[in-house]
Formats: sequence, C-alpha cells, structure tokens
Amino acid sequence: MKTRLSRRFLVWFLLAGVMAIAFTSLFLRSELKKVLLVRFEEEMTAAGGIIATMPVAAIREKAEQLSRLSHARLTLIDAAGNILADTMSVHQEMESHLNRSEIQEARLRGKGKALRYSSTLKEEMFYVAVPLGTAAGKTGYVRLARPVTEIALFADEKGRMFIGIMLAIVAIYLLTAVYLSSGLFSSLRRLTLFTDRVRAGDFSGSLLVKRRDEIGELAVNINEMVNALQEKIKRGDDARHKLELVFAGMDEGIMLLDAENRIESLNCSMEAMISRPQGEAIGKTIMEVCRNAGLHDLLKHSRESGESVCEEIIIGDEHPVVMEVTISAMSGETGEERKTLLVFHDITRLKRLEGIRTDFVANVTHEIRTPLTAIIGFTETLQQGALENRERAGRFLDTIRENAERLSRLVEDLMTLSAIELGDSPLLLEGLSMEEAIEKALLVTGGCASKKNLLICKDISAGLPLISADRDRLAQILINILDNAIKFTPAGGMITIAAAPEGDDFLRLSIADTGPGIPEAEIPRLGERFYRVDRTRSRDLGGTGLGLSIVKHLMKAHGGRMNIQSAIGKGTTVSLSFPVFRKTEKCA
Amino acid sequence: MEETRHTSREYERELQEIRDGLLYLGAKTEKSLEMAIKALLERDTSTAGEIIKGDEQIDRLDIELEERCIRLLALRQPAARDLRFITTAIKITGHLERIGDMVVNIAEKVIILNDFPQLKPYVDLPRMGEISRAMIRNSLDAMVRQDVELARGVRAEDAVIDNLNEQIFRELVTFMLADPVNIKVSLYIMQISKTLERIADHAEGIADMVVYMVTGKIIRHKPVPGKKHENPSLP
Repeated sequence: MKTRLSRRFLVWFLLAGVMAIAFTSLFLRSELKKVLLVRFEEEMTAAGGIIATMPVAAIREKAEQLSRLSHARLTLIDAAGNILADTMSVHQEMESHLNRSEIQEARLRGKGKALRYSSTLKEEMFYVAVPLGTAAGKTGYVRLARPVTEIALFADEKGRMFIGIMLAIVAIYLLTAVYLSSGLFSSLRRLTLFTDRVRAGDFSGSLLVKRRDEIGELAVNINEMVNALQEKIKRGDDARHKLELVFAGMDEGIMLLDAENRIESLNCSMEAMISRPQGEAIGKTIMEVCRNAGLHDLLKHSRESGESVCEEIIIGDEHPVVMEVTISAMSGETGEERKTLLVFHDITRLKRLEGIRTDFVANVTHEIRTPLTAIIGFTETLQQGALENRERAGRFLDTIRENAERLSRLVEDLMTLSAIELGDSPLLLEGLSMEEAIEKALLVTGGCASKKNLLICKDISAGLPLISADRDRLAQILINILDNAIKFTPAGGMITIAAAPEGDDFLRLSIADTGPGIPEAEIPRLGERFYRVDRTRSRDLGGTGLGLSIVKHLMKAHGGRMNIQSAIGKGTTVSLSFPVFRKTEKCA
Repeated sequence: MEETRHTSREYERELQEIRDGLLYLGAKTEKSLEMAIKALLERDTSTAGEIIKGDEQIDRLDIELEERCIRLLALRQPAARDLRFITTAIKITGHLERIGDMVVNIAEKVIILNDFPQLKPYVDLPRMGEISRAMIRNSLDAMVRQDVELARGVRAEDAVIDNLNEQIFRELVTFMLADPVNIKVSLYIMQISKTLERIADHAEGIADMVVYMVTGKIIRHKPVPGKKHENPSLP
C-alpha cells in the first residue's frame, strides 16, 4: 500500500508531541505535588511555631481565628493526648491523640508531620504538630492539618495550563512543519510525475529547477540523466535503424534460424524469394516455408559438421531461381544457443549468362566442325581415287563447295553480328517504302516459297508512311525473317505479311506463318546466338542459327523493336516496328 | 516441473521432426515427379535412371517416418489434435511412398520409350504431370498452413486430370487405329497417363487427410461436386 510520506510525517509528529506532553505533564505534576507538600510543611510549621508561643488559653480562645489565618484545621492537644480544642469537630467525643505519629514525632524531635487519612474528616490530610512549652516539659501540642486534595487540585490546575500551552506550541510547530514540508513534497511529486513520464517513453521537456537546495540538485541530476539516456537511446536506435536498412535493402535473402531450426527473422528479399510475408514465416521451420529437399540436406549437413557450407540450389515452382545458399552456424548471445544464418544469393541471371556463353562456344565449334568434317571427308574420298569417277567426283566437289559456302556464310554472319554489336558499320538512314522493300525481299526468297507451294498473303494498306532505315540492312532483316518463315512452314502452308502504323512514330510489319510454333518458354531465348528451338531439324534447313540474332541487333540499331508471338501447332508471328521517317531528319 | 517442461519440449521437437520429415519426403517425391516429366519430354534416359535409383531413399524415408510415428504413439500417447496429426502423417507417408513408386514406374516406361522414335509431341502428358505435381504441392502446402480450402481445391483438380487422361486415351486409340506399328508405344504412353492419373488420386488422398487433420471430418469417398463419373471404359 502506498502511504503519502507527508501524512506519515504528520502522524508521527503528532504522536511524538502528544507523548512528550503526556510524559512531561505527568512528571511535572508529581514534582509540583512534592514541592507544594514541602511548602505546606514549611508554612504550617511556621504557623504552628508562632501559635505555640501563645498561651494555651489564648490558643483555645482564638482557635477559630488562628485556624482561619493559617488556612488549616487547628487541634490543640494536651500532654496526655486529650483534645483541648479542634476547629473541625466536637473534641469531647474524640479519642486520645497521643499515639498519632505526628504527635509522637513532635514529642521526640520537637516537630512532627504526617500524611494520612483522617477518620474524623474522612479525607486525606497533611498534619504538622508542634509541642507547647519548653523543651524539658511539654505541656501540649498544636497540630495543624490541611487536606491534601488542595495540593492535587492546584497541581491539576497548573498541569492543565501546562498541557494547554504545550499543545499550542506543538500546533505551531506542526503548522510550520506542514508549511515547510508541503513545498518539499510537491517538488518530490513533480519529480515522480516526470520520471513516470520518462519511464513511459516520453522524453519531451525537462524539469524546471526553482529550488537551490538538495531537491534542486536532484532535479538537475535527473534532467541530465534523462538527456544522457535520450542521447544513448537515440544512438542505439540510429545504429539499429542503419543495420535494419542494410538488412532490408540487401539483394541477398537472409534468414536466421534459432536452435530449434525455426525461423527467427528474415529480410525483405527473403520474403520475396519464398513469397511469404514475414509474419507467416517466423516461427516455422524451413521445411514448412520452403519445401526444398536440397536445402534441407544442406542444412542438415551444416548442422552435423558445424561448418559453413555453400551450394547452388534451385528454389521455386512456377519461376524457378538458382540460389547460391551459404549456411553458417553462429553462436548466440548467451554462448549456448546455436543459431544458423542462411544467405541466399540469386544467381539465376549469372547462370543463364554462363549457359549462353558455354552454348555459344559449343555452338560455334559445332557449326564449324560439321561443314569441315564434310569437306575433309569428301576431299579424302577424292584423294583415295574417287577423282577417277568423274560423275561422282563432280557430286563430291559440289558437296564440298556447298559446305565451304556454308562455312563462309557462318563466318560472314558472325562478322556482321560483331560489326553491328561493335557499331563499326554506321547505318545510312533514309526514307524507304516498306512495300517496296518487301517486294524486293520476296524476289530473293520467293523461289523457295513457290517450291514448297506456300501461299503468301500481303495485307499492306496504301499510303503508309516511309520508314527510316538503312537500305541494305532492311533487306537483310526482311530476307532473314521471310527465310525463317518459309523454312519453318510446312508445304502448303500460308505466310501473311501485314503492315500498319503503330502510333504516330512507328510502322509495324508483321509476318505470320503457319509453322509448328515455338514453346512460350523458348521465345525469350530466340535472339541468342545459335539458339535453336528444335536442334536436330532446323540445322538441316541450312540456317546458321544467327539469323534472328542479327535481326534483333539490327532492329535495335534502327531504334525499332522485334516481338515474337507464337502458339504451338498454330504458327509464329514476328512483328517488326520501324521508326517512321521524318523529312526534317538529316540523312546520315 | 522442470522435468515435465523438458519432456513436453522434447515431445514438441519429435512432433516437429515428423512434420519436417513428412515435408522432406513430399519434396523428394515432388522433385522426382518433376524429373520424370522432364525425362519424358527430353527423352533423357540418364535422368530416368537417377529417379529409379533415388526411390531407394524415398522408401527408406517412408519406413523411418512410420517408425517415428509409431514410437511417438507408443511412448507419448498423444491426444486430440496431435493424435489426429500422427495418424494422418502415417497415411500421408503411405500415399507419398506410393507416388514415389509410381514415378519410378513412369521412369521405367520413359527408358523403354526412348528406344522408339517419338510418336507425337507431348502436350497433354506434361500438363497432367504439372497438374498432379501442383496437387501434391498444394496438399502439402495445405498441411503446413492448415488450409482446408486449399485442400478442398486439390480435390476439384482431380476432375481435370481425369479429363486429360480420357483425352489422351482417345487420341492414342486413333494413333493405334491408323498404324498398328504405333500400338506398342501408344500402350506405354497410355500407362504413363494412367499412372499420372493415379498419382493425382494419391495427391487427392493426401488432401483428404489434411481436411481430416484440421477439421476431424472424413471426406474420403464422398463425391466432389461437379466432378464427372470416371469413364469405366478406361484402362
């Protein structure tokens, strides 16, 4: 339970005051009683002494008067103890007083006193007895008595007065204390409120220091402490924020597993890689989040060997990505808990480029070797005597020539490609008519088309704008595309050539065939060198595998675009978008 | 107190191991089905051989998982949800192992088919393979996420597989009628198609078990709304 310090102070002060007053008043009262008793004795002894000097008869006569003057009951006793006079009762009926202690004491010592209950007056009385006559022969005694209640009443009266004064003093003290402490307590309360706010995380503002005492010092200290704390927290926050930014902004996916192999944290890239939001993944095992046997094996291997491992793993179903996963064990903060850090690095692109490069080398060698083998083979046959047979020799020489031409075509294509890529041969752009260019290209390729009995449909609207292109390069592009279309369309098929403006700036030419089509997954790879969808068949058709690659690069050089759409079993459409020729354009 | 907490943690760990083991087995079978389809399309005998070899591991995992489940049942006497999970896990393991065997079956057919020229470009078979693979994947995902809707969705997919199977059957019949030389190859292809259809059935079985695991309701053998009755003339 919370008790207010101020209230406790008040209660204790009050209690201490009351106790002090009670003890002192009790002590004083008893002291006062003692002192008064002594005074009584002295007064009464003095009065007794004076009375004793008077003759007995006079005393008897003036007993009432003397009693009144000395404020006491006066008893006159003769030597035998008989009462000669008494101011308070009828003395004839009273017994002998000689055995009373005060009388005995007076007889022996010349003065006697006693404090006792008076059976005559039914009251506590103080007695003083003084002998009459000389020291040798005592003729009687004068006894004075006063009720003790008088003393008590007096002492009580004085005691009450004392208590009253003391209470007044204590009250004044208390009021002063309350007044002084109220400032102290309100300062303390302000400190408490402020620290409460700081604890709740509100660092705004600081304590206003008005006092120049210890409390003020404490307030200054608290202000400084809060400032230092704020600074420290801010620095910590900044550092953490920076780390978080780095963590979140990294391309690599990062995942931290706890000792139980459950995911403790992961960054944004990782979230994207496993396509699960963070909330869903945390607390799960890696198998639950990313069901991949290879990853599980790798993790197991790392756990068992305690070493960092790094391996390539394919993750994902719809869009598989190649990941280089590095797993390293980390000792946790306590030094006991073993955590595991997994870093995923997406190397799909790298792998693809690597694939293209190896494919390219393999393709080039393969493309070169095939005609070379034929040339060497036939030359050897000729050398071994086939020369004699003129008819066969002629056929062989034809084959040799054919293969040599193919080789030369290949080398030429490769050179064209590298020239375009390097930008060695600048384009001579001029305004050309698309229809004219198509007609020319068809003159070149039309022979093959009619051999295969292909139907070529042209759907070119009149009045199309001129396109901006290099005359020779345009021919090369069109011949390549038409050649492809003719090659891959089975006999009796149809090729549709259409041209239409595409927006204001482009003219789109589309060449559609009714060939076997290309699987969708292969379309993005068509522009690669030597890439063939059907490796066995298309080479027989005599291509070098560089046609589309050349077209793609030429279109790019013209500022145009090539787009291929295909449906399996239905055919392929190649769309070429050429920039429209503008009169203001300067011919290079 | 310390002891019981320790035991319960141990118990939790064992349960998690079974869950992970199940998913691992699932990933393995999924992968081997994927490889089988690839081997079929690319006429790749060596991949097919790998699949046949890899089945040994699937079988071993199956036995290991079942033993774990039984040990947990015997030693820990799980109740309620956990009990349902363990009994379900035993059944799912069985389904996965059967799928593994069937994939081996396909791989064997692929090796034989590679000795013959390709009859026709495969269009429906890879689709069937992809769908049945997705069915396995979705049912396991449903298990992880305790997602009853996803599990029920797997049941609906089965109708598509049945239709494709039927379509392949019809197509192959025409090939066989056109030239008796095609009969042998056609029969092998038909067997592959049928195996894929049965793999899908097992995937559906897994999904049913997931529904049971989550809701406690057995939906097996109940007709799927909108699903046609299976053609009795099919092999």
